[in-house]
Amino acid sequence: MNALPIDPALAWESLPAMLRGLMTTVVVTVIVLALGLMLCVPVTLARMSRNPLLAWPAAVFVVFFRGAPLLILLYLVYYGFGQIEVLRDGPLWFIFGSAFACAVIGLTLNHVAFMVDVVRGSLEAVPAGLTEASAALGIPPRDTFRQIQLPLAMRYGLKAYQNEVVMFTKGTAVISVVTVIDLTAVANEVFELTYDPFTPMLTAGALYWCLVNLIRLGFRKLEAYLSRHHIAVEKQRQPASAGFTALAARWKLALSQKEQVL
Amino acid sequence: MTSLATEAPMASPVAEPLRPIAVEMTGVDKWYGTFQALKGIDLTVRKGEKIVICGPSGSGKSTLIRCINRLEPHDKGTITVNGIELDGSPGRTQDVRLECGMVFQQFNLFPHLTILENCMLAPRLGRGVAKEQAEAIARRYLERVRIGEQAMKYPSQLSGGQQQRVAIARALCMEPRIMLFDEPTSALDPEMIKEVLQVMEDLAAEGMTMICVTHEMGFARRVANRCVFMDKGEIVEEATAEDFFGNPDSDRLKQFLAQILH
Ligand SMILES: Nc1ncnc2c1ncn2[C@@H]1O[C@H](COP(=O)(O)OP(=O)(O)O)[C@@H](O)[C@H]1O
Ligand SMILES: [Mg+2]
Repeated sequence: MNALPIDPALAWESLPAMLRGLMTTVVVTVIVLALGLMLCVPVTLARMSRNPLLAWPAAVFVVFFRGAPLLILLYLVYYGFGQIEVLRDGPLWFIFGSAFACAVIGLTLNHVAFMVDVVRGSLEAVPAGLTEASAALGIPPRDTFRQIQLPLAMRYGLKAYQNEVVMFTKGTAVISVVTVIDLTAVANEVFELTYDPFTPMLTAGALYWCLVNLIRLGFRKLEAYLSRHHIAVEKQRQPASAGFTALAARWKLALSQKEQVL
Repeated sequence: MTSLATEAPMASPVAEPLRPIAVEMTGVDKWYGTFQALKGIDLTVRKGEKIVICGPSGSGKSTLIRCINRLEPHDKGTITVNGIELDGSPGRTQDVRLECGMVFQQFNLFPHLTILENCMLAPRLGRGVAKEQAEAIARRYLERVRIGEQAMKYPSQLSGGQQQRVAIARALCMEPRIMLFDEPTSALDPEMIKEVLQVMEDLAAEGMTMICVTHEMGFARRVANRCVFMDKGEIVEEATAEDFFGNPDSDRLKQFLAQILH
């Protein structure tokens, strides 16, 4: 036993298995995030619809799956699907019977419910004046949504989305309860084999940390790209004369008041 | 741009009655919930006419002008624009919006698009113009408002006066027959008001039909065929600019003029 609670040899030895677990974590995360991006916009539009037949089910969906604890949700999906005869005997049982797919379904339900509020907040933050200007120009509503509201909402909602993605990625650890061998599951296995409480958990923790920070770097790049119109203002200010700098500052202020939301 | 350009309507204080009607409002009421914002508005604007609307804050000027391109639906009466009656059907609303350009107090340029892209968007999506052609149109109108060299910048990099001139160019790119201005200089610093008014005067000289909500008296005197005074949702007085400012009829207009002239 050395002073550190970590056994480097064990960490090294378990690394390949850990990386396989990390791979599972990444694959689940990527699949659910992709499904989330696809599903969140239609569900949000339903939620924001003036038609109660669309708005109500969407609202119930959000309230239910936001509120349902993820752990319990996963148990319900994994063990509950097996109780439903039509599913068990149906042609899609290879999906509903698989732990991996159940994990993806449970996580997606929860993630989409959170995303609906993120997307809704971002869409509502787009200044009404811009939508009106677009309508007044004779741009059809569909195009206004795609070309004005959605791209601006993406900029406004990026920080909130980043938070959700980071929290979600760390939260995927719960899928080990339905027998998916993700990073946390591997760490648990190593612990059960060695009774070393620190080494596997700290190794897994370091890998989660790397993953989360990789995500953060990605978001920083994306943000720089999406807010290039702000960056252009910053660059312009440097060689500017004092009078112009004051002017730019005023416009930046006006702009941030108009655009700032989250 | 149009054949009306040679007719120089500015010289005559009242448009000849034989000109075709551009905008006709009869008995228009508008309610916001239980609050009546417009009360029995009757207004006829003929082709090539320039109308200035003024009145105290909250008197319904914006509501009136926004009813003309149906950014606000009216509740009673009829509004006909270039022979198209606004009856609430999406098709007619769209047709009317293609007849009318609109300029807002807050410019409402799309912040994530360059100046050029701001001007190209509506021709491409609203009229289905090809990209090269849309760019040619955009550059032509940006030149006309003397801002061609800023085409690749983003709105936040421009001064308020420049942004408002871009907003005018953006509206002109749809080649509207009628221009609606809602306090286009009210958000501008004094030194920038002139450049925007100059662009508007150029437009007036070319024969554009214009309805302007503005308190710029100099502009009204130089350009307006008629001035309309609104108070509490009603049109209280209509007169030539000369009579309007020099010899007002109603006490309400006298009071209002005393206020804006101090
Ligand atoms: N969307 C709205 N909902 C409720 N009331 C409104 C709305 N828009 C305007 N109003 C009210 O209608 C009246 C007229 O507004 P507006 O046309 O903007 O006046 P003006 O442009 O002359 O200042 C005001 O009292 C205003 O508070
Ligand atoms: Mg107004």
